[in-house]
Amino acid sequence: MSPYNSPPDLPAFRKLRGYAFDPSLSQTLATNRINNIVYKVAWEEFPEPLAGEYIEIVDYDPTVGRYYEALDLNSPLVLAQDGLDPSESDPRFHQQMVYAVTMTTIANFERALGRRILWASRLLDSRKKGTPYEEYVPRLRLYPHALREANAYYSPPKKAILFGYFSAAPANDTLIMPNSLVFSCLSHDIIAHEVTHAILDGMHRNYNEPTNPDVLAFHEAFSDIVALFQHFSFPEVLRHQIARTRGNLSSQNLLGQLAQEFGTAIGSYGSLRDFIGGWDLVLQKWVPHQPSSDEYRTVTEPHARGSILVAAVFDAFLHIYDTRVSDLLRIASGGSGVLPDGEIHPDLVNRLADEAAKAAKHVLTMCIRAVDYCPPIDITFGDYLRGLITADMELVADDRLDYRLAFIDAFRRRGIYPEGLRTLSVDSVRLPVRNIRLEPNRTGDDPMMALIDFLRDYAEQIKYRNDRAEIYRVTRSFITGSPEYETGLHARLGAKFSGSAMFSYITGLAFHGDYAQVGVTSAGQQAEQQPPSFEIQNLRLVNRVGPEGTLTNQVVFSLIQTSHLDPETLGPVARKTNYTAFKGGCTLIFDLDTLSLRYAISKPLIDQESAHTTGSLQLNEARLSAQRAYLGAESLQTENPLSQFFLVDGRTGGEPFALLHQH
Amino acid sequence: MPPSPITHCEVRMYRMGTGDCFALRFFAGEVLTFRMMIDCGTWQGSSEKLRKYVSDLKTYLDNHVDLLVVTHEHKDHVYGFEACQTLFGQDFTVSQTWMAWTEDETAPRASQWLKDFGDKKKALMLAGNQWNRMTAGRRGTDTRFSPFQLAARRHFAQALSGFTELQFAANENGEYVGMLKGMSIVRNQIANNKIRFCHPGEIIASFPAAPGIRFYVLGPPTSWEAVKTESGEDGESYSHNLAESDAFAAAVLAGDSPPANAAPFEERFLSDPNDTSHPFRKRYEQKNAEWRQIGDDWLNSAGSLALRVNSMTNNLSLALAIEFEESGRVMLFPGDAEYGSWRSWHGIDWAQPARSGDKHLTEDLLNRTVFYKVAHHLSHNGTARRLGLEMMNHPDLVAMATLDYNVISNGWKTTMPNREIVNELLRRTKGRLIVMNEDQLEVGDVPLSSRVAAAKERMTAAEQAAFDAAFAASELYFQFTVKG
Repeated sequence: MSPYNSPPDLPAFRKLRGYAFDPSLSQTLATNRINNIVYKVAWEEFPEPLAGEYIEIVDYDPTVGRYYEALDLNSPLVLAQDGLDPSESDPRFHQQMVYAVTMTTIANFERALGRRILWASRLLDSRKKGTPYEEYVPRLRLYPHALREANAYYSPPKKAILFGYFSAAPANDTLIMPNSLVFSCLSHDIIAHEVTHAILDGMHRNYNEPTNPDVLAFHEAFSDIVALFQHFSFPEVLRHQIARTRGNLSSQNLLGQLAQEFGTAIGSYGSLRDFIGGWDLVLQKWVPHQPSSDEYRTVTEPHARGSILVAAVFDAFLHIYDTRVSDLLRIASGGSGVLPDGEIHPDLVNRLADEAAKAAKHVLTMCIRAVDYCPPIDITFGDYLRGLITADMELVADDRLDYRLAFIDAFRRRGIYPEGLRTLSVDSVRLPVRNIRLEPNRTGDDPMMALIDFLRDYAEQIKYRNDRAEIYRVTRSFITGSPEYETGLHARLGAKFSGSAMFSYITGLAFHGDYAQVGVTSAGQQAEQQPPSFEIQNLRLVNRVGPEGTLTNQVVFSLIQTSHLDPETLGPVARKTNYTAFKGGCTLIFDLDTLSLRYAISKPLIDQESAHTTGSLQLNEARLSAQRAYLGAESLQTENPLSQFFLVDGRTGGEPFALLHQH
Repeated sequence: MPPSPITHCEVRMYRMGTGDCFALRFFAGEVLTFRMMIDCGTWQGSSEKLRKYVSDLKTYLDNHVDLLVVTHEHKDHVYGFEACQTLFGQDFTVSQTWMAWTEDETAPRASQWLKDFGDKKKALMLAGNQWNRMTAGRRGTDTRFSPFQLAARRHFAQALSGFTELQFAANENGEYVGMLKGMSIVRNQIANNKIRFCHPGEIIASFPAAPGIRFYVLGPPTSWEAVKTESGEDGESYSHNLAESDAFAAAVLAGDSPPANAAPFEERFLSDPNDTSHPFRKRYEQKNAEWRQIGDDWLNSAGSLALRVNSMTNNLSLALAIEFEESGRVMLFPGDAEYGSWRSWHGIDWAQPARSGDKHLTEDLLNRTVFYKVAHHLSHNGTARRLGLEMMNHPDLVAMATLDYNVISNGWKTTMPNREIVNELLRRTKGRLIVMNEDQLEVGDVPLSSRVAAAKERMTAAEQAAFDAAFAASELYFQFTVKG
């Protein structure tokens, strides 16, 4: 018997055919050939049909009360031909498409983040005694045929995506067959968009709470960005579109559009969203968008507002691409940079496509990593820009191709600025580096040092864990404490920092003084000094390698604190029956190499300046009044007729996306 | 000698509750020559309560109208005919009845459409019943839902009922029976099926008793594209398309045990309903995973179907401009037309040019409008901005709005009154905005009555005096005399 126990030779990938966009592009001669592609999905075993590590598909159609036949991905007939043929009429192919795109999107996230993704945990009903606070959700559930509506949405309470199908009602009978069924689960863009909603919810669950006009818009924009830049990872599509536009990606092309079939089927002249241009009804032709700051000031509907952010990111991408290919264009044109008329050489197409793919991958990676450097609540587009620049500067010292400037410039052209900046240079947009440094040899009473020691333990524990359930369990134990890891992070923060005006100043949260007076209740566990109540979210290790070998070794977590205020007086309320909730939050980034708290990204609950200078504790009036003005605005109520008529005070009962996505 | 032309018109708005009921008396000098009635509806109310209004109306019109106009089939425009059927049945005569061309069941273009639309209404009814069952009794306390979610579900069901009641009639079992009763009473009893179905672009000046009065038919549009559009300008680009609800309606109409062909796939892909070992079924029905089930969620689509049906019917309103030929002054009665209808008016191929300039006649008519019956009770969608209100720039403009918070569905309160529409109307009318009942109405946290009072201060003394002389009020109605 051999002493070696060789693992089975599992294939690296499972190849599955699918649409690059959606079925409508397979119906026109011009795009049919590029629309059928092969997705390469990391190999996984299926203990049950279509229930893998990350997702489970349930093809139940409640509109007819029937289950559809399940695809067997392990059947030789399926394996031998890279999955089923793309087909609108076979539900098993629908399952295949949903599976392939979802897994591709997850893989892109994990590659960018350098860690495994977790779905948002399920918060349990606190009304029942003895119920734990939350529960691990191993798999996102996907319902490919859940609704008969031009809609698809991620449901945070069900941790599920519900895809709809509906009858096409095109503006013009030649665009798409009227009354034909359109399945949202066959659209790469819609699947990627919804899965991104779910992943983002797993990273920042409070991004569902609209406390300013950017929050829900950011959710939409981020989901669109991921869907959009995934287009560039399909080489056939990319080469085709580069050839067609002669390398000019600022002209009309499929890469900059989302959901062609869906858009046409609900009566638009083209895709649901186009971030480069649009159909001009008067001129009867496609015209490029001109960026202006008016839109960011006036547009409030989340998708439309989100489109401003996506257009800014896409604009940055185009600049980066143009920079990367300018030499190629000069080489190909005898130095003039102006290409001769007619088709361009296939070699040039390939080289341009390589550059586009590379630029897109960089941009997508930057966009995803930025989320680690954002506040846990109340995000604005300006906060996101700062996150983008900061995340990139952490890892890439030499910005040779001016990526960062391309982003800042694209945001500036749309009037999107981070709050409270004096200048708009790259280094001022970067978040202020706190570097609250502590000497490595100091021990004992330094609370910050003890905290960092504890976080290093966490990093050690989590670094080599690959099982997501284990990652969840260990992380959870570090937060709440356990026999294994002794006192948890939550109790430690409470014990070490309650009473510290300095910590209040750093985090913008009420940790010292009479916090009850700003509506913060006490955590109420320890007898002597009651720490204030707060919540820890999203403890994670950020471990990355930059292009020049730079290493990032950071532990990140977010604190959230809720103040319960009397709706009239805005003073503290005694009982939590009728109150206005006002939240503050802070993302803390600890650098394990320099042993310092590197960034504190705060949406302050309190007035940080007065905590610092006089040590007094006051609510942050500026944020509070901005939030109240936003929530009281009439535009919120008149925007969506569905919400006006069918919701109680516009509250969605935990389903923020169900109505938002409806057409 | 030709008859002397009409000199003025008394417009009386009955205050029965949110909804339209107008009586118009046209005078040539001192002589009453022509009587007209537009709609008779309100959101709700018993026969006893509505009786006094209808009796007064009959007295006012001396039991006869030369022209009855029914703008569209919504309860708040026709319920009075149902509730006071007997009153309208006794010694009350109508010479002519007008409805929109889309009500003509014998016209080939309208009939197929009416059938399809009827199916949608039926589906809406069934979905509404389903929601009522889902939120009543034991299911109303389903522990899978939080208390807030349960309340939200009840609210949804109620909002849906609000829409269904507005659209069509049901029998005591809650089953769809078709046309609103008020509508059929007008057709069969009051009009004796002698109805003129009006098309946009028609200019009607055929009443000998109303010399110098011309009726311009503006809507409903002849293109369904326009009918479908609820709103569409900058920032109001929410449009509904009824055909998008086809698949949903089909599933609802198929009922609780739908045939296999109701599914979007061939039968060979469907599970056997008795097969409990189907992998998807096992996963879906797994114990302790009930929280992930989606059984009812698809029925939320009834909300968008309701909005679509509602907007569609509003856009089918017969919209009329009534012109005093000599002076060119115009009274505008658009029913509840929404954006799509307003927009279509500007594309009508009128057989007649504008009075002044080379603008389109519709714009010209709006420029000359001195009396505006506000469409759709001051809602955001009811009055087009650029293609409507902004063209009403006559210095004498007076507006009447049929909104009353004491008689209204709760769901409507969030959309009516729309602050911007009210502000713009107050500005253009200098406070001559006559609302059925100002009680409880607020605009941006300020009571509407104080806003109206403030706006009135912009009138000159002469304008104020003229307005006071032309305005009359009683518990039953508000009345304004429009000078010809």
